[in-house]
Amino acid sequence: MRTKPLPALAGGVVLGAVVGVVMRAVTEAQPSEKPATRSYHADKPTGLSGAAALLAASVLADSALEHYRGSFENPAMVAPLISSALTLGSSAGRIFSLSRTRPSRQKAFVLSIAVGAAGLGFHIYNVFKRPGGLSWLNLFYGAPVGAPAALSISGWLGLAAERLAAQAAPAPRFFGLPAGRVLAAFTSLALIGDVAEVALFHFRGAFQNPFMYAPLALPPIAAGLLAKAAVAPIAKTHLLTRAWLWTTFLLGMAGTGFHAYGVSRAMGGWRNWSQNLIDGPPLPAPPSFSALSVAGLAALSLIEREAHAGDRQGR
Amino acid sequence: MSPETPRAKDGRAPDVFSRGGWTPMRDYALSEPVDFLIVGAGAGGATLGCRLAENGFSVVILEAGPFWRPLEDFASDELAQQTLFWTDDRLIAGDDPIALGGNNSGRGVGGSTVHYSMIALRFRPEWFKCRSQLGYGFDWPITYDDLAPYYEEAEEALKVAGPVNYPWGPPRRRYPYRPHEVNAAGLVLARGAEKLGVGWAATPLTTVSAPRGKSPPCVYRGFCNYGCSTNAKQSALTVWIPRALRAGAQVRDLAMAGRIDIDPRGRATGVEYFREGAWRFQHARNVVVAGYAIETPRLLLNSACPLFPKGLANSSGLVGTHLTTHAGPGAWATFDEAIRWYKGPPNMAVTEHWNYTDQGKDFVGGYAFMSQGPLPMAWAQTLATTRGLWGAALRDEMRKYNHMAGFVPVGETEPRAQNCVTLADDVDQYGLRIPKVIFSYSENDKRLQRHAVAFMSEMLAAAGGYDIWTNFKDTSHLLGTCRMGDDPTTSVVDADGRSWDIPNLWICDGSLFPTCGGVNPSLTIQALACRIADRISRLAATGSLASA
Ligand SMILES: Cc1cc2nc3c(=O)[nH]c(=O)nc-3n(C[C@H](O)[C@H](O)[C@H](O)COP(=O)(O)OP(=O)(O)OC[C@H]3O[C@@H](n4cnc5c(N)ncnc54)[C@H](O)[C@@H]3O)c2cc1C
Ligand code: SF4
Repeated sequence: MRTKPLPALAGGVVLGAVVGVVMRAVTEAQPSEKPATRSYHADKPTGLSGAAALLAASVLADSALEHYRGSFENPAMVAPLISSALTLGSSAGRIFSLSRTRPSRQKAFVLSIAVGAAGLGFHIYNVFKRPGGLSWLNLFYGAPVGAPAALSISGWLGLAAERLAAQAAPAPRFFGLPAGRVLAAFTSLALIGDVAEVALFHFRGAFQNPFMYAPLALPPIAAGLLAKAAVAPIAKTHLLTRAWLWTTFLLGMAGTGFHAYGVSRAMGGWRNWSQNLIDGPPLPAPPSFSALSVAGLAALSLIEREAHAGDRQGR
Repeated sequence: MSPETPRAKDGRAPDVFSRGGWTPMRDYALSEPVDFLIVGAGAGGATLGCRLAENGFSVVILEAGPFWRPLEDFASDELAQQTLFWTDDRLIAGDDPIALGGNNSGRGVGGSTVHYSMIALRFRPEWFKCRSQLGYGFDWPITYDDLAPYYEEAEEALKVAGPVNYPWGPPRRRYPYRPHEVNAAGLVLARGAEKLGVGWAATPLTTVSAPRGKSPPCVYRGFCNYGCSTNAKQSALTVWIPRALRAGAQVRDLAMAGRIDIDPRGRATGVEYFREGAWRFQHARNVVVAGYAIETPRLLLNSACPLFPKGLANSSGLVGTHLTTHAGPGAWATFDEAIRWYKGPPNMAVTEHWNYTDQGKDFVGGYAFMSQGPLPMAWAQTLATTRGLWGAALRDEMRKYNHMAGFVPVGETEPRAQNCVTLADDVDQYGLRIPKVIFSYSENDKRLQRHAVAFMSEMLAAAGGYDIWTNFKDTSHLLGTCRMGDDPTTSVVDADGRSWDIPNLWICDGSLFPTCGGVNPSLTIQALACRIADRISRLAATGSLASA
């Protein structure tokens, strides 16, 4: 395995930036020890922004790779690159309190939601228009249905962060419901979607490496625990759920390592990186699990904060 | 790439997965009889050798050709790769003489599987009882159910990449690997099939769609018929041979077997073979011939001795007879869009419709057909030989190369006594009489081909092709010539591949086939080999390996 210096450097910079964003986001997503003294206020929902940023980064890299592979045959194939880049920038902007205005950020997120939805339509159409219609072959090799959905999800997470920031209340709400629970339910569903996509592609890879079962084993439990947190009586701590989300977070990061190993097993390995990065297992895909784990952790923080707020109100 | 000095010797054999690498190999003495001496390291010989060695027998495999290392020996060059084929002198005769060479023979460790197209299909169950159930050909001495577990074993060993649900045949376990993405040439077949309302599928192939050990996934560069230089192809060379070596078998490359020796009791005692400039003799308790449908009968006939003046295993007079081939008439069309049919393995989509449908046929037998992907030299050759194009006309036609698509069937031919392999009077470089291959199509064979060509042309038109033309010359796999059966008077060997006449002489290759069916044969050859290995081990356990 030998990577050329320039791509290695570029990759390092990108990775460094993304990891920086995430680290900052994650530290903010810790359970708040002293909720009473720490007012939940504008420009602080960095956990969610971090999740949105990481997911957008994953979508950006993935769609850049895959659509380059498809030679940008359709001009619309540039759209997810732009929208995910904007969502990435806006979310990072929020985390680092850069001077972007809230309306411009919001526009970026809405754009991602819309582009993701349109992409979903395109990708489904692409599967159906091939000979054989809805078949395993076309699900394997047609446009991946789950990828645009991830773009929409990143937009939703970004928007959610904006909404939270706008609500100074200790127990913020989405659509009239407790924000933490809504977010936990949403993240749980997103995780399930992600698992379904991975299941399809790891099935296509015939589970030739036993580790390919890991993303089908761990994240569904995280999704279940999150779903439980969303509907169960409100609790102040979610130790197991947090631990499981952290495991899922690490799994997402480790996944990139496994995919890098997968690239090395293709003809020519990393020496032939320019081809194998495109044809091998996608490096940017697994961190989507990490992104959703961060979102899940943020949801738990909200739920716990609501529990504490309930205490203070003597509930 | 021409290692014409043996590589597999002095206790080591080439490592097929590295450049210049070696793997340790057992060394058996010539004078010490080995349990099984196998002639030919192809689909039949390598598989049997591997399974017998794994079952604890001492095994030596003699192979006339070289022991290649694909990573360093195979070039992406059609011309340079012609060394993979068996191009020794042979005579051809009959009304429809079969062109012999790259399309139907291989020479080297791995045999024809080194440069085959990797299509891995099972026989239709009824074909094993062709005469009694379908009214033509001969019954096999085994049933589909006898072979099914071994089909599964072979598919697993070769990690066949096939559809999640294969549309034809009885229920079966899923293929070990998922199907490959169908290329544009295959999608032409898919489109046409959907228009005509017949089934189609991604072809089950023995090239991996995901990593497997040291094999990287297929990179779709399309040189499969000239030796896969990436090792994605799962051939006898990359699958069975490494396993055989690990289990203690010895492979001797560039070792041409010339004669099987028979003792006064009528038992085989070993094989004379030519290696490194001299004739040598390896003693063996059992001899297995696995040299392919021409070389197997040739060796048996060339080994005639006072006890068996008509040749070995030939009391029925059937050795060399009932040669079948798969007829391969083509239908070709031009398309507006670029197809680039050289991309990927040559046959990525298949329909077995006419293997499983018996209504609407004016012939007996079956055929499957596949999308095609000839490389430029092979394509120019087809144009020149079948349409007589040359010079500017050939050049103009070749300019359409990227816009062509076409189909070729694997068309069953009838096993008939007059189609046969005999010995000519000429001798080859070893002083051995060369084979004469006589072949003519029956009326039924011709009707089958006309049906196939008409149907394929219709399908090409339905898929949007125009300027359709056809050719009737090509053939592929050769089979039959030493058929297995239940009765010593009407077959050469029994259901275990064991000669009726000489109890320690066996046959294990495509020549065993009583009928050839309408699918490519190598999977069935390998399944048969696995079964024969199993049977031999059981016979050994009960003490019925006669001379052992
Ligand atoms: C171009 C091409 C494409 C094909 N595509 C397919 C396909 O897609 N699917 C499929 O199922 N089948 C395919 N086949 C057919 C398949 O490869 C053969 O049917 C199969 O390999 C035959 O197995 P075998 O054991 O009978 O002979 P082989 O595999 O040919 O092995 C015979 C070996 O014996 C050696 N030998 C012969 N005589 C002697 C001797 N006297 N001493 C020492 N060694 C000897 C030869 O050198 C050879 O290596 C294809 C064949 C060709 C040529
Ligand atoms: S297309 Fe695949 S199997 Fe064929 S030569 Fe290339 S890598 Fe090998």
